[in-house]
Amino acid sequence: MALEDAGAVSPNPERPQDAGTPGSTGPADPARLVGDERLPCGRLVSEAWDQARTHADRRDPHMAGCPHCRQAAEGLVALDRATRVLRDERPSARMVADRVIEAVRAETRLGRLLPLDDCERDLRVAETSAAKVLRRAADTVPGVRAASCRLFPDEHGGTAVDIVMTLASTLDRPLPARGAQVRRAVAYAAQRQLGLAARRIDLKFVSVLETGRRPAAGRPVGTSGP
Amino acid sequence: MADCPPLPDPTDGEGDRTDPPDADLPDSVLSARAAEGDDDAFAILVRRHSRSLLALAYRLLGNVPDAEEALQDALVNAWRRLPDFRGDATFRTWMYRIVTNRCLTVLRSRAPSVPLDAVPEAAAHDAGGQPARAAESAAATEALAQALARLRPDQRACWILRELHGLSYEEIAQVVGMSETTVRGRLFRARRTLTKEMASWR
Repeated sequence: MALEDAGAVSPNPERPQDAGTPGSTGPADPARLVGDERLPCGRLVSEAWDQARTHADRRDPHMAGCPHCRQAAEGLVALDRATRVLRDERPSARMVADRVIEAVRAETRLGRLLPLDDCERDLRVAETSAAKVLRRAADTVPGVRAASCRLFPDEHGGTAVDIVMTLASTLDRPLPARGAQVRRAVAYAAQRQLGLAARRIDLKFVSVLETGRRPAAGRPVGTSGP
Repeated sequence: MADCPPLPDPTDGEGDRTDPPDADLPDSVLSARAAEGDDDAFAILVRRHSRSLLALAYRLLGNVPDAEEALQDALVNAWRRLPDFRGDATFRTWMYRIVTNRCLTVLRSRAPSVPLDAVPEAAAHDAGGQPARAAESAAATEALAQALARLRPDQRACWILRELHGLSYEEIAQVVGMSETTVRGRLFRARRTLTKEMASWR
């Protein structure tokens, strides 16, 4: 578990003699060089902590008799116990999340305005809105989800628009076939739903979605909910 | 109207879809969308991370109203700064950084000494087991919360990120903008102070 401290709980603690002397080349763990403290008995505080988290049978006999080490260890045990309780004290964030989402929707960015493929050449669509429609089109291809979607108007003032998308995909089918499907879906939406004259559609697969189960990558445990 | 040839409906022949709904998309996909102004994607990220982030702000600042205000400021600020988010850190680390910085700014602007009874709030948690043990455990937790509030803000931030949120040294270094070695030093000092304060609660 990540909450265990590799710095202070190394399973096989060395006895660095130079702890606290910056620049010395002895111990491998920099934690020992950064402020570790020597107890009156000669042991390091971090060693007493290591021992406190070690199973009783494997403990250094010194621990049992040394009041300094015992005191350091007992403090750590009490701290660990209270820390576990504190970790679960998490106020509900629902209200603040609601307020943030409301504030953000109120200042929605439009992005640049792009020409629609219309003979009068005076109709425009906001990049942000168009990108949403095109991402949704790419998402209709099974196993594919659109990430970024940028649109670039023709530099010479024409109505043509280039589309650049990045995609996340499962790997259960060959990507070229998927790419072709996405291209068709995006071209269709650009023309039929938006009325954009899509010229180039550049697609880049940039990340992998897990197949079978829901992609939970990057999702920390227990952050949703009330 | 455009004179492109008509296109086949691309959804033809696609059977049952088992793709996850947007709410289950990875942070990387959602943050790329949000960076381009997709407020729906940002809303999902906010719902996904706000509870952890509020817990972080609450522990750093010591009370819920200040924590909520700091989190709200930080998240709206994040929305505005998302176009600059390049994905060299994970979205989560980036958010932790924005919230931590916001809280440290609040702490710096506070009066140098806040009355002790104002920081932090009494622990509110459901302790199980025997009432006497629960009361003792609640008192120990309260003692830890108080001791934490007395730590220097930089040490407090490192300790909270490590012990309450499980971030790695490398991630903490990114969040607080210090070297990993400095982070280890801060953590050692924080843990040393807290173990001393907690020694009577064994």
